[in-house]
Amino acid sequence: MDQVAVPSAHDVVEPAHDAHAAHDTATGVSNTKLAMWLFLSSDCLFFGAFISAYLFYRGRPQPGPHPIDVYNIPFTSVTSFILLMSSLTMVLALAAIMRGDYRRLRVWLLATALFGATFIGGQVFEFTEFFRQGLTLDKNLFGSTFFVLTGLHGAHVTAGIIWLVSLWGLAVQGRLTSRDSERVEIAGLYWHFVDVVWIVIFTVVYLIPK
Amino acid sequence: MADETANPAGTATETEPREAPVDEEPGTALERAEATPPAVAEPELPMLPGEVRPHPTPQRYVMIAAILVVATAAEVGLYYLEGEVPDGLIIVFLLMFAVIKFALVASWYMHLRTDKPIFRRFFVLGIVAAITLYLIVLTTLHVFSPN
Repeated sequence: MDQVAVPSAHDVVEPAHDAHAAHDTATGVSNTKLAMWLFLSSDCLFFGAFISAYLFYRGRPQPGPHPIDVYNIPFTSVTSFILLMSSLTMVLALAAIMRGDYRRLRVWLLATALFGATFIGGQVFEFTEFFRQGLTLDKNLFGSTFFVLTGLHGAHVTAGIIWLVSLWGLAVQGRLTSRDSERVEIAGLYWHFVDVVWIVIFTVVYLIPK
Repeated sequence: MADETANPAGTATETEPREAPVDEEPGTALERAEATPPAVAEPELPMLPGEVRPHPTPQRYVMIAAILVVATAAEVGLYYLEGEVPDGLIIVFLLMFAVIKFALVASWYMHLRTDKPIFRRFFVLGIVAAITLYLIVLTTLHVFSPN
């Protein structure tokens, strides 16, 4: 009758992982997790294409504004720091659900989504500032490659935020229990991937001298 | 189960250490086990499918985050050394820090170091394929040539 495992009054129940003891698959591992890793592997090629396009056109003679005219490194450093911290809260959410600590699960999931939203807010602010300074998608090759690359990354982060908020909603309703740890882990894999992609973008696009 | 109760006192068997102190403490064996503080301060997390080792502890996660923050701060510091230090040196160090941060997140936060190797192989395959492909493309297009 009671098909949904509802957390106790203290929101802490014992971890339950027996359901995950083994996977009856050809590879012996979870197909969902393997599919996520395959997707992330292919996404490396996806982002690699746009990073390469940026590298190909950078430094070429073109009308301004140029990167040095518009970049605000202290501001982007802060947003990068926020995205890094969201990876910490994401992994703490996974640790919480594995321990059966649903209160912390909800806190860390929400914190991760909020950090992600803050990062996206920073990106929107940055794009707006660049636009005010005359840099648009079709202004020059720098604008085209920069907006496409960072915009696609921002789209990935936005998708991750929607995913996290969905998980948080399930957790609030008590429909995300220790037996669903793998769902949080897979969302976490995606989230950490957008973080590592930003690590590369921040270095290659923003910091490496022109 | 029946052997435990039937075992005579003083007989050296593998069940003896479990039986000796039982009568002095109240409660069931499970209650005593729960009341006893763990030998390790931070218990390991249970394992998920596809893992060969338990996940790191939250304390370890925070430590990794601290390293990531320091590495990011160092990167930003290097950016401001432009003009005072040769660009080539700055680029080498920036790429080195990026690789360290990437590896830390992938191995600790994405749990590649505790998961089955099949996941690591798939991910490394994608990274190596991307780097190889685009290095060939960019080299062919003379992106790395001096002029």
